[in-house]
Amino acid sequence: MMEFQERRIKPVLGVIVLSGIVFFVAVVDGKSGSKVPENYDNQGKKIFDAQQATPVQNLEADSAGRNLSKFYGLRQYPGSPPLIPHPVDLTFSGKESDCLSCHEKGGYSQEFGSFAPVTPHPEHTLCYQCHTQVTTEELFVESEWKSISPPRLGQSTLPGSPPPVPHSLQLRENCIACHTGPGAVVEIRVSHAFRGDCRQCHATNVKTSKPLEFSRK
Amino acid sequence: MKLDRREFIKQAAISSAFATAGAIFPGISFGDWSRLANNTGIISWQKSPCRFCGTGCGVLVGVSDGKAVAVKGDPNCSVNKGLCCMKGYHSVQALYGKDRITKAKVRKNGQMIELPIQEALDLVAQKLQETKAAHGKDSIAIYGSGQWTIPDGYVASKLFKGCIGTNNVEANARLCMASAVTGFMTSFGIDEPMGCYEDIDYANVFITWGNNMAEMHPVLFSRMIANRKKRSNVKIIDLATRYTRTSQAADTSIIFKPQTDLAMANAICYEIIRNDWVNWNFVNEHVSFHKGKTNIGYGTEDHFAFKDKAESIDFEEFKVFLEDYTPEKVEKISGVPAKDVKYLAALYGDPSLKVTSFWCMGMNQHTRGTWINNLVYNIHLLVGKISTPGNSPFSLTGQPSACGTVREVGTLTNRLPHGVVMNEHDRKMAANIWDVPLENIDPKPTYHTVEMFRALDRGDIKFIWIQVTNPMVTMPNLKRYRDGALKDDRFVIVSDVYPTPTTDIADVILPAAMWIEQEGLYGNSERRTQHFAQIVDPPGDAMSDTWQLIEVARRLGFEKQFPWEKSNYIEKIWEEYRIFHAGPKHEMAPYKVLTERSGVQWPFVNGKETRWRFNSEHDPACTNGKDFHFYGKKDNRAWIWARPYEPAAELPDSEYGFWLNTGRVIEHWHTGSMTRRVPVLHNAVPSAYVEIHPEDAAELGVMNGEMVKIISRRGEITMPAQINGRGVPVPGMVFVPFFDESYLINEVTLDAFCPISKQPDYKKCAVRLEKA
Repeated sequence: MMEFQERRIKPVLGVIVLSGIVFFVAVVDGKSGSKVPENYDNQGKKIFDAQQATPVQNLEADSAGRNLSKFYGLRQYPGSPPLIPHPVDLTFSGKESDCLSCHEKGGYSQEFGSFAPVTPHPEHTLCYQCHTQVTTEELFVESEWKSISPPRLGQSTLPGSPPPVPHSLQLRENCIACHTGPGAVVEIRVSHAFRGDCRQCHATNVKTSKPLEFSRK
Repeated sequence: MKLDRREFIKQAAISSAFATAGAIFPGISFGDWSRLANNTGIISWQKSPCRFCGTGCGVLVGVSDGKAVAVKGDPNCSVNKGLCCMKGYHSVQALYGKDRITKAKVRKNGQMIELPIQEALDLVAQKLQETKAAHGKDSIAIYGSGQWTIPDGYVASKLFKGCIGTNNVEANARLCMASAVTGFMTSFGIDEPMGCYEDIDYANVFITWGNNMAEMHPVLFSRMIANRKKRSNVKIIDLATRYTRTSQAADTSIIFKPQTDLAMANAICYEIIRNDWVNWNFVNEHVSFHKGKTNIGYGTEDHFAFKDKAESIDFEEFKVFLEDYTPEKVEKISGVPAKDVKYLAALYGDPSLKVTSFWCMGMNQHTRGTWINNLVYNIHLLVGKISTPGNSPFSLTGQPSACGTVREVGTLTNRLPHGVVMNEHDRKMAANIWDVPLENIDPKPTYHTVEMFRALDRGDIKFIWIQVTNPMVTMPNLKRYRDGALKDDRFVIVSDVYPTPTTDIADVILPAAMWIEQEGLYGNSERRTQHFAQIVDPPGDAMSDTWQLIEVARRLGFEKQFPWEKSNYIEKIWEEYRIFHAGPKHEMAPYKVLTERSGVQWPFVNGKETRWRFNSEHDPACTNGKDFHFYGKKDNRAWIWARPYEPAAELPDSEYGFWLNTGRVIEHWHTGSMTRRVPVLHNAVPSAYVEIHPEDAAELGVMNGEMVKIISRRGEITMPAQINGRGVPVPGMVFVPFFDESYLINEVTLDAFCPISKQPDYKKCAVRLEKA
C-alpha cells in the first residue's frame, strides 16, 4: 500500500531544483568526543549545524518571493503555526514527512513557481499536527477574534546596532532557516549568515514580554 | 563587481523590501527611541577599543550633539575587522544609566553626604597621611583593575610604589590572569602570547581548553567558525567540564572531570612521545626540561607562603615522569576515554596540521593554574607548534587592559613597569625614571589580592583605595572580606561610575569618568596597545582615575613627580612610561602612532609591529641566528616542566556532594554593573540562576525557575534553577554566573589559590543543594 502511494506521489511533487547546490558534508569525527545534549540553549546547535551545512550561495541568495504581509497573512497571531498556503494532493496525506522533501532544505519548486521556505524544526515530522490545510474559505460562524500587532521591524536600540530577536525561540531556534536564503521573507532576511553565530550580536528580547529596567534592590 | 542577474534581483528585492516594510508597519520609524533635544541627525565617528573583554575589538563611536549615540565595528582594526558582539554594539548605552555617580560622597554618621570632589580628594589625602603616620606605609593599599587605563595603572604604581613606598598595589587581574603570567614567566621568561589573532586564519585545529569562547570571546569565536566554513580543513575541539554554546558549535566535545586537565595534558605528551611525534630538531635546539616542587598546597590559610624551586632534568627523566599518565591511567582520573586522549595527541602530533590552543579562566582560575599553563606549552613545544602562523598556544584575557595595565605596567605587589621590586637593577631603573630616591622602592613584595583583603580584615591594612572594580561581588569567600572591610577604623575609598555592592561599603565614593569620557590607552590579549581620545564629556564632577590619583599625589607633596597639565597629561605619561620598555623585546609605539592607528602590536621596532615573537622571521629581538630564539630565559630556551596532577582544594564528598562552577554569560560582563544598565542586555538575561543537570533537578524535585538553596562550608545562597538553559553541567555539578549582585555566589566559593600565581580558583568547590 505504502509503496503504491509513494510511486503515485512522486510526479505530484514536481521537480525540486536546488539551484547549484553542492551539499557540504560536515566532517564530524565519529570516533571521539562525548555526545553534546541536543536540547539546551534553545537548541542553538541547530544554528551552527545549519551554518556548516548550508552552501554559502544559499545563505546569501534572495528571491524576493515572500514578504511579511504574506507571512502574517497565514498566521492568526504572531507566532501561530502558519496555514499551508498551497494545495496538497489528497494522496499526499499518508506521509506528512514528505513536506520535508521541500521544506527541510528549501529550493525552487517549479510547481509553485517559488522557493520553498525552510522549516526551523525539521525534527518534528508530523507537520499536520500544527499546520492546517485550507480546503474552504467559508466560515462556520463569523469570528470576533482580534490579534496583537506583530513586532515592529527596525527595533535596533542605536542607529546601526543589531536588532534583538523579538520573538520566542521555541520551535524557532534555527535563525538560519527563516532569515536566510531565497525562501526567506525579504524584510527579515539577512545576508551575513556566513558568520554563523547569530546570537553573538542579536540578543533575545521577546517583545510580548514586559520590558524590564535594571534597578538595584 | 559586475551586477549579474542574481545580484540585480537581490538589489531590487532590498529596495522593495524597504518600501513594503514601511507601508505595512508604520512602527518602522523607530517610535520607541527617546530623542536628543537638539539632534541634528549628523553623527561623527571616532575610534576606540571596546570597553568590555580582553579581545580588544576596535569600535567606532558615533557622537551627535555631544552624546555617544551609536557604535560600529572598526573595519580598520585587524582584531575584529568591522564586527562586534552584542555588548560592543550597545556599549555606549552603559554610559547613560540613570543612577550614574556624578558627585563625590562621604560617609558621615552612617549617611553618604554629597560634597565637591576637590573636598573629597582633600579628605582622601589627609586620611592617607594620618593612616601612614599612625600605622606605617604598609597599612595603605590601592586595588585597581584590568579596566584601569594604562595611565591609571602607571600613576598608581608611581605614587604608591615610588613615592609612598609601599608595594600594596594590586589589581583584580590577579583574579583573572595571574596564572597566565606565571605560566609565561616559568615557561618562557617573558610575559604575553607569542602569537596573535591572525593565527585563527591559518590554524587547522582549534582546541579550547575549558574555554567557552562562543560566549566569552565571541568575535574571535565567530572568526574561527567563519574560517571553518571557508576552508574545508578546520576542526574545533571543545575540552570542557560543562556543555556550553561552544560545545554546540564544536566538531568534537570532550568532557573531563574538574582539575583533571593536568592529567590530560600530560597524557597527550605521553602519547606524542610514545608515537615519536616529537619534533626533535625543535626540541634539541630550543627546549630544556625542568621540574619544580610538588604537593604545593592551596593557600586557604592566612600568611600562606610558597616559593617554587626549579631543577633541571633531562628528556629521559621527563619521559619517566610521564609514565604515570598513560591514556588508560588518565581515563580513570579524568573520565575521558583513552581513545579521546589519543585523538587529541594525534591532532597535536600530526605534522601536517597547524594547531592553536585557546584558554582563559578555565585554566587560569585553577589551584594549579601555573602548572596547567606550563603543561599546554609543553605539548606545543614537544611538537614545535609555536610562534608560527596558525601554531599558537594562546592565553586569552578577560579585561580590556589586563595585559596593558596590569601585566605590562606591572600593577601587582611584586612588579614594576619593568621587572620586579626584588631586583635592584629594576628598582634603580624605576627610581631613575620616576625621579624618586632608590630607597623609596621597597624590595619586598607585600600582599597579593586575596592576602590584601585578608590583611584588611585582620587590620594590617587600614586604608584601601579601590578603582574600576567591584570586589564586594568578585572576591571568593566574600563574606569574610566584606565583614573585614566594614570593620571600624577601616577606610575604604571607591572610584566608580555606578553604585555597586563595593560603593555600599565605601567611606568615600569618587565619581569616575568612564571609558571614552577620558583619554586613555588599553592593551589587549595579543600585545596590542590601543589609544582612545576623550570622545564625550564626563557627567557632573566625574574625573578620570588617573587625574584623581594625580590630585591626591600633589596634595601629598609629590608635585615634582606629577607635574602634568590636564591638556596633555596622557601623552606625557605615555612617553615617560614607554622609557621602561625601550629595546627590541618590548618597545612600545610612540604616542602619535597610537593616536593614528586602531591599535599597535608591541614590540614595535623601526616602525614595524611584531606578530609572532621568538620567530626570527618576525621578531627583531631574535639574535641567535637560528629559526627561533626563546630569549626570555637565560639558557635561551623554552622550558618544558614536569608538573603532576594534584587534586582540587575541595572535592565533593558525602556531605557536600556537588561541584560548584562559576562564570559568565555573553550578555553580561563581569559583575554586570555596566551591562545590566544596557536595556537590550538586561532584558535578555535579567537575573542569575543555577544551572543543574536535568537528572539532578529531577532527583531534587526542582523544576525550571524554582528556587534552590546552594550551601557550602562558607555560606549559602538561594536562587532560581535553570535546566537545559544556556549550558548543561554534567551530573554532580552546578554552574552559576556571577554578574548578578542580588545573588552573590561568591559568598559560597572558596578562596583557595594557585600557590605560584596566587590566583583563586572560582571553578571548583563543594556544595550541597536543597529545594528552597
